[in-house]
Amino acid sequence: MLIVGGGPAGLSAAYQLARLGAERGGEPLTVALLEKAREAGAHMLSGAVLDPSALTELIPDWRERGAPLDVSVCDDRLYFLTTNRQFRSPVTPRPFRNKGNYVISLNRFAKWLTAQVESAGIDVFTGFAGSELLYEDSRVIGVRTGDRGIGRDGVKKSTFEPGVDIHAKVTLLADGVRGNLTKTLVQRFGLDVGRSPQSYAIGIKELWEIPPGRLTSGTVVHTAGYPLQLEEFGGGFIYALGDDCVSVGFVAGLDYRDPLFDPHVAFQRFKRHPLVATLLIDGQMVRYGAKALPEGGWHAIPRCHASGALIIGDAAGFLNSMRLKGIHLAMRSGMCAAEVAFQAVRENDLSATRLGQYGDMIERGPIKKELYPVRNVHQSFAGGFVSGFAFSALSLVTGGWWFRDPMPAHAGHERIRTVADYFGQGHLVEPPTAPVDRTLTFDKLTNVHYSGTRHAEDQPSHLQVKDTDICRTRCMEEYRNPCLRFCPANVYEIVDADAGAGKQLHVNASNCVHCKTCDIMDPYQIINWVPPEGGGGPQYEGM
Amino acid sequence: MILVIAEQRGDVLNPVSWETVSAAQQFGDAVKIVVAGDGPFGIAEELAAADVSEVLVVDHPALEPYTSDGFVDAIAQVVRVEQPELVLWPHTYQTRDYAPKLATRLDRVLIPDCTGLKTHDGGRLLIRPMFQGKFVADVRPEGPAPHFASLQIGAFPAVSAVRGTVPAAMRAINVDVDADAIRQQPEKPFKEAKQAVDLTQAERIVAVGRGIKDAEHLPVVQGLAKALDAELAASRPICDSGWLPMDRQVGSSGQTVAPKLYIAIGISGAIQHLVGMKGAKTIVGINKDVDAPIFEVADYGIVGDLFEIVPALTTALGDDEST
Amino acid sequence: MKIAVCIKQVVTRDWPLRVAESATWVRDQEASFEMNEPDAYALEEALRLKEKNGAEVVVCAAGPARVSQVIREALARGADRAIHVQSDELAFADANAVAEALATSIRDEGFDVVLTGLQSDDQGFGQTGVILAERMGLPHATIIMEVEVGDGRLRVKRELESGWFQWVSLPTPALLTIQSGINQLRYATLKGIMAAKRKEVRIVTPEGLPTAGHRILKLYVPEKDKATRFIEGPPANAARELVRLLREEARAL
Repeated sequence: MLIVGGGPAGLSAAYQLARLGAERGGEPLTVALLEKAREAGAHMLSGAVLDPSALTELIPDWRERGAPLDVSVCDDRLYFLTTNRQFRSPVTPRPFRNKGNYVISLNRFAKWLTAQVESAGIDVFTGFAGSELLYEDSRVIGVRTGDRGIGRDGVKKSTFEPGVDIHAKVTLLADGVRGNLTKTLVQRFGLDVGRSPQSYAIGIKELWEIPPGRLTSGTVVHTAGYPLQLEEFGGGFIYALGDDCVSVGFVAGLDYRDPLFDPHVAFQRFKRHPLVATLLIDGQMVRYGAKALPEGGWHAIPRCHASGALIIGDAAGFLNSMRLKGIHLAMRSGMCAAEVAFQAVRENDLSATRLGQYGDMIERGPIKKELYPVRNVHQSFAGGFVSGFAFSALSLVTGGWWFRDPMPAHAGHERIRTVADYFGQGHLVEPPTAPVDRTLTFDKLTNVHYSGTRHAEDQPSHLQVKDTDICRTRCMEEYRNPCLRFCPANVYEIVDADAGAGKQLHVNASNCVHCKTCDIMDPYQIINWVPPEGGGGPQYEGM
Repeated sequence: MILVIAEQRGDVLNPVSWETVSAAQQFGDAVKIVVAGDGPFGIAEELAAADVSEVLVVDHPALEPYTSDGFVDAIAQVVRVEQPELVLWPHTYQTRDYAPKLATRLDRVLIPDCTGLKTHDGGRLLIRPMFQGKFVADVRPEGPAPHFASLQIGAFPAVSAVRGTVPAAMRAINVDVDADAIRQQPEKPFKEAKQAVDLTQAERIVAVGRGIKDAEHLPVVQGLAKALDAELAASRPICDSGWLPMDRQVGSSGQTVAPKLYIAIGISGAIQHLVGMKGAKTIVGINKDVDAPIFEVADYGIVGDLFEIVPALTTALGDDEST
Repeated sequence: MKIAVCIKQVVTRDWPLRVAESATWVRDQEASFEMNEPDAYALEEALRLKEKNGAEVVVCAAGPARVSQVIREALARGADRAIHVQSDELAFADANAVAEALATSIRDEGFDVVLTGLQSDDQGFGQTGVILAERMGLPHATIIMEVEVGDGRLRVKRELESGWFQWVSLPTPALLTIQSGINQLRYATLKGIMAAKRKEVRIVTPEGLPTAGHRILKLYVPEKDKATRFIEGPPANAARELVRLLREEARAL
């Protein structure tokens, strides 16, 4: 059994497999987990407010084992922001009540969970990326890890190590939001036929140390409104972690229309709003990061089983976009997949049909129970904040019903309008900016430094742009190169061309924080994100 | 009394020894200089020009060529006899090779690579960089004298070494060095062109950034580097574009340097670059943007067009040389 | 042949570090760690010597429990077994204390060659190897670029300043401090990682630490004590003024 991805889904699946092996005895299974980060948890980033229900099922004595769930949520606040003011919601709707939940660091949680998995006897191999799926006829028979030791020019270096073929009866794909392996599997077997297109959001987050006493530990704040326009999906969050540490962030739907929209700028503006600025002033930003989130909900989840493979976690899209929670659902999906895969291997039936029992378990179990009522929430925001808000409120009562079910949905990159379309012909508009003072607000390059992201410099770019001509011609004309704005890490730049006149695309691949936004949002869909040499990427301590 | 260990090779005094003399003199204590080798009398005379109490000459055939075993043995004897409070070396490769062993033999610790000395609470404090120059530490030697320290090259200006009005007294010190007990057998040193550039050894660096706009403009900056006898370095985008090789990159994905002089030309000062050069002793920024972050760390700055300023600087250096 | 390689775990290079409240060390509780890069080159050299001459490579590291991270990595790259001198205080102890702790633990092993990196990225003392040599009574050579193994002897290439080099012979057992960048670091393979789990890691608790030879009174960020001195005027004048200042004030020329 092979698990690709060391996030909550993959780790839960691994742990569950170990448990099943211990409980049910019989011939021991060999299980291995691959994680592309240099160490456990390094690529894990989330707000995060954790619903502990799945954890309690998986590891009932998590408290005794020292799980890093130290901060109980004590207060939920919702605000609507305008440029200078805030309006607090007098009532906290049910989905936003977090009593019984915990404010956690997903990075620390993943580190702890990895330690549990390893104590249970399962090998976790960090620094190894799954680069392609291996097939035999139409069955997935394993994964090939990425080559290492290839130079920037594509030539093998003296340290070259070819990727390793790892064969497994069942491969669990837990490669995260817009996972590169999941992407190919879905394409190959048409797993998304008949499903709504997946839609995403980008979450940008900073960890701050602030002077004591400003925000009680366990306070959870969510905001809507400024700096987003009514037509844009998203909002801000502030979670008080304790020890005068706060997690501050902003989520922006990756289905905005305005081609000049810049999520990083939106985040800076959010921080400058009095509600946030008064909290952060005299504090210090200690970490930065960004990651995409799957927002499409129930209808956007593809078929998650194929012969020899199962898809779990964010890679499938098990995220509750109303409650803004996905960790516990990722864990549950991992546990279900483990159950099904375990039995399937025992019976030696690895066909798609047999593995399809995973889909059945999802249908019959708590995952659908939670996701079904909110299946159209994200899509309802297509009409803007007001319609989304109204529908979401209504859905609390109606269980998500709508005349058209699924609600019409479009892939986010298709919704972006051209500059001419959005601003009108001949209108000269500049992309938005936010003042940078490097104490409260930062430029992307400074921020990236605090993500700890590092890659071996001498390797080919892992951001494969299929046709860079489009960048300097059509895209520049039509959209003004949105990659310059939607990438939170300053990976893409348009610079003067090396030879001759004009401009060209310059890719700073080693700034990449593996958020996947570019793969998702580029209007021409010519950017393909593949894992860089294993071990490279951010170092999200405490995130 | 402070004992300064001067360095010589092949009967030539290593001029950095003057920096150590200068530092020792700053403390106002009595200063003695030690020079060791096989008949280092000429060097001793040179050193006697300094305003010091004595120059101690350690003459033994087993001390040429230099070996760590030989020098540890010889200098240890000198220290035991002279009983200084503080022994200072320049932080050279040779010092790094034997001084720690010497300190350990005498049951002490060598505090290396110091950039400053100060008195504090009636005692002496040494200042040294840590974490690749990101931080600086005030360090207090503990335990009984003598204490041992080596001084960073370039941290104490050699020109400040005070010359005496009359030559200092020279005195021979007899040491007992058993040539057979020396375990190293060195061959003759030879020169070799080094494969890669080692910016960390450069005393002066001229670094170029995006402001240069095009590889074809590099000669402007190379001219300045030549005039300064400096190494050429670059920020990440320049090396990324292949205009200069990767071993000339300074910054978080390149080298960390702390030269005496760092001139940043057309470099905005992104934090990724700053972490690689903040520790330089004197930083000059030349950039057309007065708000560029490079000016947060620069000692001197010129805001303007580098294509005018850099050639003017090269010329001014040429003129300066000839006057 | 038995080769010991001493490695250190340090905070990841360029990690945004801050001074601890005590102002005598850094806040490294939330930091990410890695193998000290110069030591990685020493390990690589040891593995190459093993491949060329046949040897047992034993990796030695001192420090708190978290040091097991770099030990595992060294084993995964090909070291045969490890010795972990476990102690929390050694995380920020000076080279003397670390060398003493290592010496006590490896003295009786009878190593032919001991390799260390040139210096650590944190304290940068650059002495642990040399002090270790003295404590173990071994001849040593520093800043080594190449190693040739002979019969009971080593012939090594020392780097001197300014592009000079020198070959030196010395009898084994001996200690060498290895220059960085002399070879290409190999990757730990999956096979290597799996094999590493079965390799022996002997944990040794040091009896006590030697009294410190020095004490850090204060650790701080070097602040530029004055703001940037902007030089105004037309380029030619500004240039001349800058040269004057560099020569007379900064003494950088």
